[in-house]
Amino acid sequence: MKKINLKGLDQDVYVETLKNNLNVIMVPYTNKKNYFITYATRYGSNINAFVPVGSKKGITVPNGIAHFLEHKMFEQADGVDPFTFFAESGTGANASTSYTSTQYICYGTKEFSKNLDFLLKFVNEPYFTDENILKEKGIIKEEIKMYDDIPESVLENKLKENLYHIDPHRIDIAGACSDIDKITKEDLYLCYNTFYNPNNMFIIIAGNFNKEEALDIIKNRLDKKENRLSKITVKDYKEPKSVYKKEEELSVNIKVPKIGLGYKFSKEDLKLDDELELDLYLSMLTSLLFGSASLFRERVRKENLMTNFYYEWDDIKKYKSLLLYAETENPDLLVAEIEKELSNIIITQEDFERMKKVWISNEVKMIDYVETTVNNLYDDMIRYKKVIDNKVELIRNLDFNKLSKLLGQMKFNNRSKVILLPMKIITK
Amino acid sequence: MEYINKDLGSYHLHMIKTDKFKTIKVKVAFRRPIVKEEITIRNILVNFLVQTTNKYKTRRDLAIKAQDLYAAAVSSKNDRIGNYINTEIMLSILNDKYTEEGNFKKALDFLYDLIYDPNVIDNGFDDSQLQIILKSAKTSLEGLKEDSNYYSLIRLFEVMDNDRPSSYRLAGYLEDLEKIDSKNLYKYYLELLHKDLMDIIVIGDIDFEECEELIRSKFAQKTFKKCRSSYYLDEVKPRVRKRVVIEKDDNNQSKLAIGARLTGITKYEKNYPLTLYNIILGGGDDSKLFRNVREKNSLCYYINSVPQKLDNTLIIRAGIDKKNIKKTVTLVEKEMNNIKKGKVSESDLKTAKEFFATAIDSLLESQAGIMDHYYMMSLLKTDDIETRLKKMNEVSLADVIKVSKKVKLDTVYCLEGINNEED
Repeated sequence: MKKINLKGLDQDVYVETLKNNLNVIMVPYTNKKNYFITYATRYGSNINAFVPVGSKKGITVPNGIAHFLEHKMFEQADGVDPFTFFAESGTGANASTSYTSTQYICYGTKEFSKNLDFLLKFVNEPYFTDENILKEKGIIKEEIKMYDDIPESVLENKLKENLYHIDPHRIDIAGACSDIDKITKEDLYLCYNTFYNPNNMFIIIAGNFNKEEALDIIKNRLDKKENRLSKITVKDYKEPKSVYKKEEELSVNIKVPKIGLGYKFSKEDLKLDDELELDLYLSMLTSLLFGSASLFRERVRKENLMTNFYYEWDDIKKYKSLLLYAETENPDLLVAEIEKELSNIIITQEDFERMKKVWISNEVKMIDYVETTVNNLYDDMIRYKKVIDNKVELIRNLDFNKLSKLLGQMKFNNRSKVILLPMKIITK
Repeated sequence: MEYINKDLGSYHLHMIKTDKFKTIKVKVAFRRPIVKEEITIRNILVNFLVQTTNKYKTRRDLAIKAQDLYAAAVSSKNDRIGNYINTEIMLSILNDKYTEEGNFKKALDFLYDLIYDPNVIDNGFDDSQLQIILKSAKTSLEGLKEDSNYYSLIRLFEVMDNDRPSSYRLAGYLEDLEKIDSKNLYKYYLELLHKDLMDIIVIGDIDFEECEELIRSKFAQKTFKKCRSSYYLDEVKPRVRKRVVIEKDDNNQSKLAIGARLTGITKYEKNYPLTLYNIILGGGDDSKLFRNVREKNSLCYYINSVPQKLDNTLIIRAGIDKKNIKKTVTLVEKEMNNIKKGKVSESDLKTAKEFFATAIDSLLESQAGIMDHYYMMSLLKTDDIETRLKKMNEVSLADVIKVSKKVKLDTVYCLEGINNEED
């Protein structure tokens, strides 16, 4: 077990890699009563074409399958329902699928050992039948329809669909209702056997627990588990540099128009090789440009140009995309304002240094909560495949000149624009 | 963890000392009996206070100041506590140990400025700032229906609880928004300062004496107020036959919101057997509704129930396909009736008690949760945590069955989604 100190945060992390390459990350707290555990695989909706275990030929599976699989993992051959099992000790359980990963979590204050062991057990023992697959379809379709009724979700999905030509990142994580009908038990087993292997998975635990005991439980369950394949081959989509569709307007059931703007950058053009460094500088840039203390926000606020503004960076293998979303009565004017801002970016060293102070303070705040700690480590394991133990230091060392240089490489002309407009006529 | 509640005459100061968190949170709460026509102006007021002050005129100035204080976070909200409307302005700031000596004091000055040194010109709030806030509020009120899930809940309460405080829209009303100007808003603000009941709650690794001294020197309110009316809404007799209201909208999914009334229920029953009843029915992770409506019948992705103890109601919600509205309601009724008939086991009860105990343990890991707990305890005179755990453990299955008979289905509301791709 390797001890890593999260520098500047007053917290130790213990890391162990089993013989089969399963990564275990443990963060014991001395002043907490609760714990939070995640068991995860680096398999999400972005992988829909790959060479399955036991084969040399690539296959394509229906969209939404990683998410469907996540739902179905809660089915057990012996009929024990994981939700019921965890509930007996007042423990919560859940699971989630992203573009790049799937995780199974449990959290509570009691029966740590029993629950950790059971979490590992149920994720290791799939039980899919035609009958239980069919039953799940109704539930998942209602989940998809729920999101289809959330305008922000429609906007985000549409923007990604229009930014990318062929990368599966353009497809909604859950797929469409029509995709769900195609999914079979055999598909699920194939995906499970290919992606749910120790060398593609990791465990993160934080909170009130004994690290030696936790590692014993994990080893007991998983030390002997073999990898069904040593290397996963996933289809390499040759995503072009351009955006798929530059503009689209949609009429949906809303009252206030909404815009989504996506700017696609090739990582090659940004000339900053270290992924973590690139992420930090890009986030810094958008915090300065679009954050609560930005000149842009003050200007559009004065002109009453938007409400509900938010932004994020999208990451697919060779690309970084800046996604901006806003609600506005005047889409054209707001788009023009954003374009104006991006065509003449001014950032000051003073704002830059202040933002570093804010980021460091936030790192300290976040460590107080076990769930946030697990989530942050989780994101690092997915994005950078390791525990980042010097984030505070990295933030402190961010260099204004480096940011200016990066900015010099960025051209905001590869854009996709989506506008949602209220429907003119509501059907009877 | 240590807790002190001090009556400082014009307000109560609650201080909670714990070394579990690196952050100190300070909450200033104002409350008064709710009046429907005041909801909107109060929403605008609280927005105004946290978006502009005399010293920091623009939102950007405010944001920069907060960032300079090592990312001080300010949040605000209006919510309803039974018959009362409750307004909170909250500051969250890193302990000086992680920033610099004196930062907490500076942050308190900042919080004070937000509340007591507003952006006033000529006996009115700064109109240019106010217009920005009004415009933005108008947009969000116009867009209220876009959140169909939330909208279905609002409609249920309006249909079921016509004109009781539980039916008021906390988001506010467009017609009241139009009546707000810089003068009457300022007048309302002064009235709030002088007439509202006030509490200050501080949590963190603090020294009680030092903290009290700091708060006293800053927040020196002179007026004395007494609370008279009850927080609890009066009971309403349930309908003999349930009322079904279906409205249509262009959504993919139908949002079902079912309202039940609690009748003849004691305060003890509300806080204990009812809590367990709700966990068993639809509040817990492994509830009867989840198990039967979702897992067995594949009718929905989410279904849950929540008691509104101060309103004497219990609400059940689910997102379903329009062709399944009737079937879902029937299944919900069946599950409710099953508990009444005693079809509920000791193991259901045990699981519910575990769920509750974990919820309490988890509450103690969250600063916001602890603050809410003590605030509610002082307002509603509810039991402390140890007593709650003890009394909850003593609840029997018979108690749960008895309380289940006092939960009566009253109104079924459904916002029917008419845009269904499968049809």
